[in-house]
Amino acid sequence: MATLSINNVRKQYGSVEVLKGIDLSLNDGEFLVLLGPSGCGKSTLLNMIAGLETISAGEIRIDQRVINGVHPKDRDIAMVFQSYALYPNMTVARNIGFSLEMRGLSKAERDEAIGRVAKLLQIEHLLDRKPAQLSGGQRQRVAMGRALVRDPKIFLFDEPLSNLDAKLRVDMRTEIKKLHQRLGTTVVYVTHDQIEAMTLASRIAIMKEGVVQQFAPPQEVYERPANMYVASFIGSPTMNFIRGTLSAEGDRLGVSVTAKGPSESGPSRFLPLAEAPAEADRWLGEEVILGVRPEAITCYDPAIAAGNPALVRVSCRVSVLEPTGADTITYIQLGGQEVVARIKPSDRPVEGEPADFMIDMSRANLFDPRTEQRI
Amino acid sequence: MSSLTSSLPRADGAGARAARWGLYLILLLFAVWYLLPLVVMVSTSFKSLDEIRTGSLLSLPRDISTDAWSYAWTNACIGADCRGMAPYFLNSVIIVVPAVIISTLFGALNGYALTKWRFRGANLVFAMILFGSFLPSQVILLPMAQTLGFLGLAGTAGGLILVHVVYGLAFTTLFFRNYYVSIPDDLVKAATIDGAGFFQIFTKIMLPLSLPIMVVTIIWQFTQIWNDFLFGASFAAGGAQPVTVALNNLVNTTTGVKQYNVDMAAAMIAGLPTLVVYALAGKYFIRGLTAGSVKG
Repeated sequence: MATLSINNVRKQYGSVEVLKGIDLSLNDGEFLVLLGPSGCGKSTLLNMIAGLETISAGEIRIDQRVINGVHPKDRDIAMVFQSYALYPNMTVARNIGFSLEMRGLSKAERDEAIGRVAKLLQIEHLLDRKPAQLSGGQRQRVAMGRALVRDPKIFLFDEPLSNLDAKLRVDMRTEIKKLHQRLGTTVVYVTHDQIEAMTLASRIAIMKEGVVQQFAPPQEVYERPANMYVASFIGSPTMNFIRGTLSAEGDRLGVSVTAKGPSESGPSRFLPLAEAPAEADRWLGEEVILGVRPEAITCYDPAIAAGNPALVRVSCRVSVLEPTGADTITYIQLGGQEVVARIKPSDRPVEGEPADFMIDMSRANLFDPRTEQRI
Repeated sequence: MSSLTSSLPRADGAGARAARWGLYLILLLFAVWYLLPLVVMVSTSFKSLDEIRTGSLLSLPRDISTDAWSYAWTNACIGADCRGMAPYFLNSVIIVVPAVIISTLFGALNGYALTKWRFRGANLVFAMILFGSFLPSQVILLPMAQTLGFLGLAGTAGGLILVHVVYGLAFTTLFFRNYYVSIPDDLVKAATIDGAGFFQIFTKIMLPLSLPIMVVTIIWQFTQIWNDFLFGASFAAGGAQPVTVALNNLVNTTTGVKQYNVDMAAAMIAGLPTLVVYALAGKYFIRGLTAGSVKG
């Protein structure tokens, strides 16, 4: 149980700057997910928290204590590796108890702790086996057990589920979440999987090229992404980016979506915004990008639309339908641009025909097309 | 291995079968060709001198006699010393066993440090060590003689152990370094977080994983050091000489009738230990040479 604060941390390899000033701060018991594509520096940051990489500049504190120069074993952290890094020559029991053995605990104390963890993870029947005799999921559990046995202040996870098959990954994800709820220990978890990040995190730090793009709770990251990079990284299918111009129609502000180029035709559409953006005057008449999640576009239903002014009715031609079972992913033409909508299978329109849709503009985001930042 | 042979295309038709038998015939001829000297040595060592004079080189012994073996072991004259090969065999054991153990352990330690605790210039150090394995042994004779003289180890078994350890380190480091490269770094990271230090990680994790490469290294070093003649002849004086030098002296200093049976028996005695090591650990040798990463 501990707080973690990372203050302006940098990492350089020679002249290459991998981390460009990271600031993060975690409360006791939080579950932080570092999310980003490979090479964004998330694993480097985790290794620096663990003490496996030196810190070029800045400081990392655990419970207000600066740990920059502290040896990994004295940081009171435990780490689960992507490769599990189980010691192949030792039995499962000895793997789990190794850190206690290194700390000079007696055999009896070790056995007691190993038994407690094995019971928690339901791996009691595996204790005498060698790692090579275990399945992927079992190895994963043992790796968790090795981290749990020390009862550390902070757990560090380095893509722990990426070596598992799809089904097992989902099961283990839930189990990690349950475990965290039960133990309440602070966790830093590295992944490139946005679903893992959304499901597990109390806060997500999305990283790109050594810079944190947004540090916020999952729902906020999803609904109000800080920039177009974050918006496109999270969510599947990805957010629609619709080019348009911020304009006023009567007393309402909105985005005019115009077909561009000679091959595209279609009338200009005015999509009124639910709320005016900051500095609306400055943006009036300027080009903006309207970000709409696919599930914010649904089939038009007069009964629902009547009670909600944020729902804007549009008529679009349907180009392709992709049924996934739960939803039907529908590609529609909006002002000459292809837009993806997530439709209930019972509402499915006809391919090639126009149909009426409604866009929930209260869930829309505006971005600056030059800086790609949220307006 | 079995999967390798079974994946070969099957021989079909008469032509293919003839080619297959032709192949076996050629292989058989080569096997006989290479085995012939050994057969002659073994059979001659069990013959009496009379039989050697009267019979042909390739004939098998009529009455098997072990006299030549016991004579070579206990009575043969090596120079003026007529105590047989036994004391020199013991010399070799005294030199080879510590030299193999020390050079293997240091090679493992070097390989571990070069791969898992990469320091600035680690690659340069490794390149220089690697260069050592290309040095012809003649090149180090004079500097080594000076060094041994300076250390007061000239002409002793200890001096010869030092020579073999130093010369062997290049090879043992190379072997272990290349093996440890394939062991995931995460193991060392995990152990570091678990609180193990440099030597604890080495003894508790790396060494237990090293059996295949350790067998390879031991066989390699044992063969090299046991069969060494140059260093033994150069740096060991009189009674401290290893068995290879003694064999040379035994064969070259006979007076009167040449006792071929004793010479052959002595040569067999000098060569047997390496054969025994191969027979006992040979399968690990092949396995170790082809071993890839440790899955775990």
